[in-house]
Amino acid sequence: MKLGWLIMVVASVLMGQAAGAAPSPWDQPAAILADQIAGMLGPGQASLTVRNLSTIPNDEIPSIRRLLQQDLKARGVLVSDAESANAIRVTLSENVRERLWVAEMVEGNETRVAMVHVEPGISQRAQPVGGLTLRKQTVLTSREPVLTALETADSLIAVEPEEIVIYLHTAEGWREQKRVGIGQKRPLARDPRGVIFLSSSGDGFDIFVAGMACSGSNQSAKPAEDWTLRCRESDDPWILVQPPVTQASGATQGAATQMDISVTPFKAFYNAARNYFTGVVNFSPGIDLPPFYSAAQLVRSASDAPMLIEGIDGKVQILDNAVLKPVTGTRDWGSDFAALQSGCGAGTQIVASGSGEALGDSLRAYELPAQEAIPASAPLAMDGTVTAMWSAPDGKSLFAVVRNAADQYEVDRVSASCN
Amino acid sequence: MRWIVFRQVAISCLLVALALPAAARTRPHYGGTLKVEIEGDPWTRTGAQPGSIARRLVFDSLTRIDADGVAAPALAIRWASENDDHRWQFWLRPGVHFQDGSTLTSAAVEESLTGSCGTNCPWTAVHAVGSMVVFTGDAPIPNLPELLAGDDFLIALAGPANSSVAMAMGPLIGPFIGTGAFQVESFSNGALTLTANESSWEGRPFLDKIEIAGHKSTRDQVLDLSVGRADLIEVPAEQLRQAHEQRLTVIASPPVDLLALAVADGDVLSNPNLRAAIALAVDRMAISNVIFQKQGEIAASLLPASVTGYSFLFPADRDLNKARELRGGLTPPPITLSTEGRPAMLLAAQRIALNLREAGFNVQVAGAGAPKHADIVLLRLTLQSNQPQAGLESLLRRVGVAIPVRENSPAGLFRVERDFLATHTLIPLLYLPRAYAVSGRVRDLRLSHDGEPLLGGASIQNSQ
Repeated sequence: MKLGWLIMVVASVLMGQAAGAAPSPWDQPAAILADQIAGMLGPGQASLTVRNLSTIPNDEIPSIRRLLQQDLKARGVLVSDAESANAIRVTLSENVRERLWVAEMVEGNETRVAMVHVEPGISQRAQPVGGLTLRKQTVLTSREPVLTALETADSLIAVEPEEIVIYLHTAEGWREQKRVGIGQKRPLARDPRGVIFLSSSGDGFDIFVAGMACSGSNQSAKPAEDWTLRCRESDDPWILVQPPVTQASGATQGAATQMDISVTPFKAFYNAARNYFTGVVNFSPGIDLPPFYSAAQLVRSASDAPMLIEGIDGKVQILDNAVLKPVTGTRDWGSDFAALQSGCGAGTQIVASGSGEALGDSLRAYELPAQEAIPASAPLAMDGTVTAMWSAPDGKSLFAVVRNAADQYEVDRVSASCN
Repeated sequence: MRWIVFRQVAISCLLVALALPAAARTRPHYGGTLKVEIEGDPWTRTGAQPGSIARRLVFDSLTRIDADGVAAPALAIRWASENDDHRWQFWLRPGVHFQDGSTLTSAAVEESLTGSCGTNCPWTAVHAVGSMVVFTGDAPIPNLPELLAGDDFLIALAGPANSSVAMAMGPLIGPFIGTGAFQVESFSNGALTLTANESSWEGRPFLDKIEIAGHKSTRDQVLDLSVGRADLIEVPAEQLRQAHEQRLTVIASPPVDLLALAVADGDVLSNPNLRAAIALAVDRMAISNVIFQKQGEIAASLLPASVTGYSFLFPADRDLNKARELRGGLTPPPITLSTEGRPAMLLAAQRIALNLREAGFNVQVAGAGAPKHADIVLLRLTLQSNQPQAGLESLLRRVGVAIPVRENSPAGLFRVERDFLATHTLIPLLYLPRAYAVSGRVRDLRLSHDGEPLLGGASIQNSQ
């Protein structure tokens, strides 16, 4: 009996499609609900009312009603306006997770209930406008916080607060291959941070987390499957900007590869008990730098590549010729930013997270022709709070870690296209 | 002349201010003391409330509920069920320490859960097996991971604490050493001081200290917030509109507190028709509109609409005629109706008594401190999980009904609710949100799934 109904459901859906009508997202739930109603009422006449308590636009209700009517008819239940002993009340409802269609069949004093849950629709995003358009692609999702990550030819190295995770590229996406404990001796911070860079030799990587430094290397023909990882206690300064590095594959990578400029490795000491850099760096900037949260190099030309830093007081400043100059127009910036060599406009933009506390964080590109940050893109909505950002080794994209409402972490690759 | 100079100075200041770069938002700062004021006790649980604000900061549970209502790892990193949900194994997170430095072991978890779990335990037995904690039940325990996230099952270091430390705790009742982000420093004059746990497994919290002053009236709380003596205060649902009008910064949860009447089915109200008559006689709309200033969601179902989507199937309208009809001319002996001490709850109880008198019942309202064997009790129950099965099971357990809710389909859950509510031993009335007002220096404050402030992730602006 059940098989018979199932065949009818499938047949009615297929018939609808064969008739040339574009498949509607409501075809399947309408068919299933009609199936349940007919199973309870049996063949006969009934009145039908449909009310909408959900976020489905009201102009879609007539078509849903028509679908239900057709599907009921196919199962022997004729919907009639005439007074009938049987009444079908359909309510289109929803909860925070999904839509729920509920049918109440009233026969005299008895009311029976049927329900169908409907997957939530995909929300449409507004088309962004501006000098360039940012877009994102999710690379990895994780239950554990991801502090930073590095993509190589066939591996993804993700740094978690207590472990380094190596993922291998497969046809289905990244597959976890190996976990190695970092072995911190000191307590973790509430806002842990980390950086990862290709090693200067190009065949490995260097990781810095609070109080620890790790290095990964391999000499085998199958690099992704044979990473050797070593961690040690360290208060060495962290690399924040790296000169171009030739990867083992032969490709040249580094934050400043698009222009033939000399980039000094920029290293800064990290306050392992807190979440900021102390202001002490590995070169003489000609001025005392304040403690800062974030830094990025803004490559304007071969001879002009100043550092941009955000102090712990929230002030964004440019370090230019031993002078710290305040940057205006950063009121909407959050605490994370990274450089993006988009090739659009001035060539390099700073992409900053948003200033809101809401879970719906955003990223936006800015041009800094002088000391003012000018928006260069529309905000790109992220699915949670941005907790870390860094430039990709080639500088042409950047990565952002987002913590969503379910406390899951998502690593997104963000790139730009010129408008 | 003086006015012109003043104006020029003012304009100059304005221009300078506009020219200055506005600061961007920063990462959370470490340090500072957050001052919290609440109406209840900072430590001791009251009535049917699940817990206290301080306990969640000091203790952790094996699991936690994430924003989707699903159990997520906390002190347990993974779990598995066997034998049709009659047996569960939970693997403990390694390297976790209690605030006194001792290691969290499965034996300590077993001891804590055995001590805290009363007669209404979801499991029959709990045992430590290596690094695992094993639960077994005579009946299936399908929602155990979600139930273990509840405040009833917080993990505390059992046994007598160090006597000198215990002396410093003053009147603090029960164990007070956990694995949470904060540890108890002192408790005096009704104020509890917590300090950051430097070796918290979740990372050292941003705040150095939290001072929680209890037993403060709403009026005093608002006053203290306005003069900077408090950073976080409670805003009762009935005061939410006023708080918005006063332009307070308010953070509110979805509706999580269920106001319901628990009706004793023995003695006076053993006749199910009388209980059904009570359910029909209550004017939920008036309680919501008048007492709770339209901040509540009228409910005749146990789970709110946002969790199930089917709550409209339970009629919430008052039907006085049908109530009188169901009473059937019976004149039951006087009924006592009691509630907890909050003024709004007492007002609601008085309103309900009025409704019931209109239906022919003889009702006496007894306020706080009333005998516990009242015929009807107006309760405030917190929805501990927004996952429907676990939420429903934990609500039922809170009123002493142990029904393992295994139904996954909305229709199946609806049947469980409908069948239980048909007994009219619990009559849902309203769902209310929880809300807090915060000072301008509080940052990154989020509420948990059940409306508790997550102070472990909060920080204070410019404290670093």
